[in-house]
Amino acid sequence: MKAAPFAYHRPDSVDEAVDALAGGDAKVLAGGQSLVPVLAMRLGRPGTLVDITRLPGLDDLEVYGGVLRIGAAVRQRTVERSEAVRAVPLIGRAMPFVGHRELRSRGTVCGSLAHADPAAELPAVAACLDATVVLRGPRGTRQVPARELVVGAMTTSAGPDELITEVRFPAAASGDGFGFAEIARRHGDYALAGVAVHVRRGGGATLAAFGVSDRPVVRDVTALLEDDPTEAGLRPSTDAMADEIVDTAGDAHGSRGYRARLLGVLAARELVRAHREAHQEAHA
Amino acid sequence: MRVEADGTVDVTVTVNGREVTLAVAPRTTLSDVLRDRLGLTGTHVGCEHGVCGMCTVLLDGEAVRACLLFAVQCDGASLTTVEGLGSADDQHPLQRAFSHHHALQCGFCTPGMLMSSYDLLAGGTYSPDTLPEDMSGVLCRCTGYRGILAAIADVAATHPDGVPPPRAAVPPALVGRSGSASVGATLTSDVRKSTGSIPHEIAIPSGTPTATVDVRSELTSEVDDVWAVLADFDRLAACLPGAEMTADLGDDRYRGRATVGLGPVSLRFEGLAHVVEHDPSARRMRVLAQGTDRGGSSTQAVIRLAADPAEHGGTVLWADADVHLSGRVAQFGRALAGDVSRRLFEQFAEAVDEAARTGEAPTTRTSPLRLALGALLARLRRLVQRPR
Repeated sequence: MKAAPFAYHRPDSVDEAVDALAGGDAKVLAGGQSLVPVLAMRLGRPGTLVDITRLPGLDDLEVYGGVLRIGAAVRQRTVERSEAVRAVPLIGRAMPFVGHRELRSRGTVCGSLAHADPAAELPAVAACLDATVVLRGPRGTRQVPARELVVGAMTTSAGPDELITEVRFPAAASGDGFGFAEIARRHGDYALAGVAVHVRRGGGATLAAFGVSDRPVVRDVTALLEDDPTEAGLRPSTDAMADEIVDTAGDAHGSRGYRARLLGVLAARELVRAHREAHQEAHA
Repeated sequence: MRVEADGTVDVTVTVNGREVTLAVAPRTTLSDVLRDRLGLTGTHVGCEHGVCGMCTVLLDGEAVRACLLFAVQCDGASLTTVEGLGSADDQHPLQRAFSHHHALQCGFCTPGMLMSSYDLLAGGTYSPDTLPEDMSGVLCRCTGYRGILAAIADVAATHPDGVPPPRAAVPPALVGRSGSASVGATLTSDVRKSTGSIPHEIAIPSGTPTATVDVRSELTSEVDDVWAVLADFDRLAACLPGAEMTADLGDDRYRGRATVGLGPVSLRFEGLAHVVEHDPSARRMRVLAQGTDRGGSSTQAVIRLAADPAEHGGTVLWADADVHLSGRVAQFGRALAGDVSRRLFEQFAEAVDEAARTGEAPTTRTSPLRLALGALLARLRRLVQRPR
């Protein structure tokens, strides 16, 4: 379980990092909590690792103009403990489910997005909130909606020579309610099924399901909440939605039907929670 | 700063209060440096890929997996290992509580449990309600969790204002035990050739397949054109995403290679395909395939292809396969393996459609799965050789 030999490159600037990636046989090393196991099992043998964690400018974590910006070098545990994350409560709800404490002290938010595991929490949160990912490559800087970043299991639309430099989450407004839940075999494992939910008072509700397809699946669920926003009232429609969304084969940990059932229950439960939260704030 | 794969670089770290400088290769992990170079064997190594938590140490005060960190990343960092938490003569309260509650059976996980629980109590997020979840990052294979959780709860209760800092600054015991050479460079000579061991016959495992794929695609091309692609193994191979045929061995046996890229994962299978059934009148065929990656992953598959005329013109292409995965790649689990295999077959069907329509090998790819350059070149070469 030793990684195959690789060269280690610690650039001094983002431009130098992008140049180092241009060779083709290089991978970005940020927290390394998903990449290093892949190297240890020799499922990947990049020629060079480009360590971006000490790059100036990638350590931003701030709320400005209604946007929470998280730089590529910012660790998940730093985000979890920060004041800034209160601007986006859904991140705080999801973070305890991201691996374990010991992994979050190294793992980065942008790294989770770049790795794009279908069962990962943060890509679903980013998709639910319609976050924006900023990429830097040899052709300059471009912005990609998080919903368009993931194009398949562990596959993104970022080029091999592009670096995610930051992700931008819209800050919550008053009258926003959130829900997040997942079912995993053990705490810290990847989810068998999970949901991130955003409900706006006065209309508008979004749900992102994860662990049930090859990427986070986003649905506008505004209409679901219009009739009977109780768990029992929502179940028929969330069950039908779950059956339509789940697009993964079953395995020893759960059949396709089991995952659909989990998703239907979690979706109804979290929609109720988010709906209640969105409307409670009116009286607070 | 750049260190070549076969080079070393000086790294300075403070371990349990003592500063030390070591020459390390890029791939040398922090856990190996602690154990093999500094003699701090209290840090245990279990799975070496971040799952078990045995190697948990504190880096700049926070619990991390020492096996998921390369030593070169730690330059300038301050580290605390279990030796620094307390010594036999001057135990940390956590160590005393572990002893009192008999929070250990075989003892292998104890260093990881101690360092992780220290981080939990020092980090200020301790809650009795979530203690089991909060400690789930370290595994105890003796399942002695009750004593462990009782010990931690005890220390939390007796230290409501926070747990005392690590006790001792133990000097590294065996600096330079392995001399100045890099640990990584002495550990492995990493050349293992597997290409000589490709068998002539393919044995399919008898157990349940890792993934079962059943894809039905509607193609616009006419059924005879589609069958012509399937019947010509050269063109058939060119339609397989990432695949390349390297030799026709006769007797319906073909040697080839296939590359699958998924995020950081890049597997290169060398293997054999054997067309065991080929029925032109029913337009059905069955292929056995086998491949081995040099990293120790292997796959076997039974693939059945059938082309039927569609009701309103065009073709229905049926592809179903039993895919067996073994070795490290099997760790991905059935669901992901099934999803990836299914998408590979969907791309295959698109490529067959294009090949049937144009009479050429396919040229365009919508695939997010990256193709090996070698396979792409081979396909281009084939195009140039056989213009129509």
